[in-house]
Amino acid sequence: MLIEFDQAVVATPQAEVLRGVSVTLAERRIGIVGPNGAGKSTLARLINGLVLPSAGSVRVNGLDTRHDLKAVRRQVGFVFQNPENQIVFPIVREDLAFGLKNLERDKALRETRIDAQLAALGVGHLADRTSHTLSGGERQLVALAAVLVMEPALIVFDEPTTQLDLRNRNRVRRAIAELPHDAIVVSHDLELLEDFDRVLVVRDGGIAADDAPAAALRWYREHCA
Amino acid sequence: MMEPLYVAGRSPLHRLPAWLKLAALVAAGAGLFVLRDPRWLGLAFALAAILVWSTGVTARAVWRQVRGLLWVLLAVGLFTGWFQGWNDALAVVLRVGAMVGLALAVTLATRTSDLIDVCERVLKPLERIGLVDAGKVALALALALRFVPEIWRNFQEIREAQAARGLGAHPVALIVPLIVLTLKRAQEVAEAIDARSP
Repeated sequence: MLIEFDQAVVATPQAEVLRGVSVTLAERRIGIVGPNGAGKSTLARLINGLVLPSAGSVRVNGLDTRHDLKAVRRQVGFVFQNPENQIVFPIVREDLAFGLKNLERDKALRETRIDAQLAALGVGHLADRTSHTLSGGERQLVALAAVLVMEPALIVFDEPTTQLDLRNRNRVRRAIAELPHDAIVVSHDLELLEDFDRVLVVRDGGIAADDAPAAALRWYREHCA
Repeated sequence: MMEPLYVAGRSPLHRLPAWLKLAALVAAGAGLFVLRDPRWLGLAFALAAILVWSTGVTARAVWRQVRGLLWVLLAVGLFTGWFQGWNDALAVVLRVGAMVGLALAVTLATRTSDLIDVCERVLKPLERIGLVDAGKVALALALALRFVPEIWRNFQEIREAQAARGLGAHPVALIVPLIVLTLKRAQEVAEAIDARSP
């Protein structure tokens, strides 16, 4: 997967959230860290087209997020920090079917893929449970399953382990590590990013450091703690 | 906290198609308004109770769902009894009770997505003549159902937070943060739907 930011600016009436970011991302596992309000989530949202650049451009495999939004979203899944916002239907199986239905697949195929996806993440037994009875980790895994069932090539995670206890954090970490997909992970959980291929440090709306995890995370600890 | 109603199971009611259950519910609703004799209405109420029981739901879960309604039924019964006589009051209470019981049985035994599919199919003819977008109406219905328990939970949290600060239950102090929270959550859910809608 090739993602190209070319002088991407995101501005609101109050402030410039991202100031002309230019970077090319092609590694399998990329981490994004930075202080609160630095622009990490905005950078991640640009990749899926949830936020469009005010100036400049973002291209995913050559597709411009401004002009080819549907095609970009078919390739890029997005897992939010709070899975409660991502789960739309009350029953787990119904929620996974929601995205698939948008692709107009037939019901038997939908059910097969839903069962296979939940089983692959080790949460097959949750298929007929109501989402409000799930633990935080289970909810995050269901939210991930709802994205994976759409078969995207790249998954963007926005602080996937922030609200989880240690046990659930480890479950989600394992699930991310075992994914065959490319992944970009915004996180304050620095341990999660240690085995990644590349880490970007975002500060004040720009990329302040861009290196292998050990060097980038050291820079982050020295300059942003 | 209010909960989604559906209970997973394999009862005969679960196995019936959603459209048939909804059609029967509509017919039963109309039929109950034709019946006047409390004995027939009592029979309908008993049937509704049996159907609810057949779904496998626990008595405690049913109690959580209907306890708020009991006060309404009591008020309606007393009002009707006072003005129209106690025979009519019994008929009204049994009629509403049976109606609620039947609706509860259908929602306990039918997935939300199946109910919404039926609504979408029913609206399709209107879509063909350009009156509505059936898919959007169905999604709006799903979201409305999704937000009911959430708004209730937010309401409870705001009330607790204000009580913890020693504030009384002032309607404005409750409603303003509730609206802000609900709008914020609605925006976040809309964003999540966007992200999953290629």
